[in-house]
Amino acid sequence: MNPKQPDPKKESWLRSTSLLLAIPSLLVISPLCGLFLGRFADRWLKTTPRLEYAGLALGFLAAIREIYLIIRRVKAEQESARRR
Amino acid sequence: MGLDFLVRVRRTSLLAGLVAALIAGSSFTLSTGLGVAAGAVWSLLNLLALEAIVTGRVGARLGRDHSMRRIAVGGSATLALFIAGAVLLTQLSPIALMVGFLIPFAVLVLKAASMLLLQSSLWRRITANPWQAAAFLAVVIAASWFAATGTHGVLRANAQESHATTTEAHAAQAEPATTEAHATETEHAAAEGEHAEAEGPKMFDNVLGVVIKANHGKPWANFLHHFEYVIYAMIVAVILSIIFITAARNPQMVPGPLQNVIEAAVEGAYNFFVGILGPKYGPRFVPFLGTLFIYIWAMNFFGTIPMMHSPTANLNITVAMALTVFGYVQFTAFKELGFMGWLDHMAGSPRSAIGWALVPLMMPVHLIGELAKPISLSCRLFGNIFGEDMLLVGFATLGITALSSLHMPFGLPLQLPFMFLGVLITQPVQALVFTMLSTVYFLLMLPHGDHGHGHEAEAHHNAH
Repeated sequence: MNPKQPDPKKESWLRSTSLLLAIPSLLVISPLCGLFLGRFADRWLKTTPRLEYAGLALGFLAAIREIYLIIRRVKAEQESARRR
Repeated sequence: MGLDFLVRVRRTSLLAGLVAALIAGSSFTLSTGLGVAAGAVWSLLNLLALEAIVTGRVGARLGRDHSMRRIAVGGSATLALFIAGAVLLTQLSPIALMVGFLIPFAVLVLKAASMLLLQSSLWRRITANPWQAAAFLAVVIAASWFAATGTHGVLRANAQESHATTTEAHAAQAEPATTEAHATETEHAAAEGEHAEAEGPKMFDNVLGVVIKANHGKPWANFLHHFEYVIYAMIVAVILSIIFITAARNPQMVPGPLQNVIEAAVEGAYNFFVGILGPKYGPRFVPFLGTLFIYIWAMNFFGTIPMMHSPTANLNITVAMALTVFGYVQFTAFKELGFMGWLDHMAGSPRSAIGWALVPLMMPVHLIGELAKPISLSCRLFGNIFGEDMLLVGFATLGITALSSLHMPFGLPLQLPFMFLGVLITQPVQALVFTMLSTVYFLLMLPHGDHGHGHEAEAHHNAH
């Protein structure tokens, strides 16, 4: 096997696309994940619906945080590609 | 493609949300329409607030004060939206809200997909001939009609259920004596519903299913029934192992057809994954990610073979694969960062007093973020492959129904175009998306010195 020489521009594009592909699902799944974890904790601790709402809020925060990290990474990727 | 793309998405989403709310309001109930509208507006405002936070943070042209103001406004708006969302959830139908919430994302995905499609050679080829273009349009309309009919049924059932609950509540207030009878009826209906749910939707017959039905009640048939999808997944694994072992057993300098195909596949996977993960870490993960891609593609394709079934149309199989990826990602983080580094990463890498004060908040936030990754991986693959199977069953049934009045021993093969579409697009694309996202999860966990910067893992490395 003789792998091709890497093309930095293509690699940067591929990395940015892959990173951006993760955004839509994380944006939807994280709040739902928080909601269901909160609901589970509510049933366990009999505190309905406080932890459910708290879980939902934490889920949204988690989604925002993940997206922020991804966008920051993509920006850095584009900057680094431009410099090259 | 920049912020102007998001502006176009917002405009289209606003129009699409308005149309969807009008359709929902006139077809179902007023509250369903309101729910769709509220969900769409909420989602758009949320995106706007997110955009303000992100541009405030990464916008190089803005001054520091202006950036901070933007971030503060975006953050406050997001918090206000959480409260509004909680109130809406208690007042309106959650399904209608979710439909409205997803409209901007659907527009985003469709716009991005159409941009890619319009520039592709496939689109140029389709539109070169008017007859070909008309046939393509007819297939798209038929598929949309079928999908819309299914959604319509689910929404109507939901609206009827909520209507029945309201009516029952009114009746209970008027006649307390009849409450017990109503409760019994409701329990009976719920039991019937559960029974119907346990039966599950109809799917194509497969070899194991036929054997199980023929030997109903026998212990080994029960065993086969319990492990039906696992057995199919193992059959696929055995077939792939045989193919790869045969190809690699006696490699030649001038390769035969099988060796040629396998070498091309391995080389393609190597270049792809090393392209994303970089030359330092990429080669280490190529065997795992390449195997994952080929295995998922083969499992997706398995359902197209007559009397076989796609193991990925079962949530247990996709969850198992997603958990494997999750476990490997966490193991890699442990190995690369060490236990304390991993804990630091989970706590959001605090480097100041405010950072340490926020640790109790960042821990659960990070935990939810990590848990969301395997859930999104498994649900997406399962939903797409299961949906494709259901589409094929629907069109096959339609083909049989179309000729039923002629008492023919066969039906129109209406499912065939969708089978080809699945083989050419859905199955490889879903395998690629699963693997690509798994690669991204590795990428986010790995320190990266040779291409760009800006993640906790790297921050941790710099700190040491």
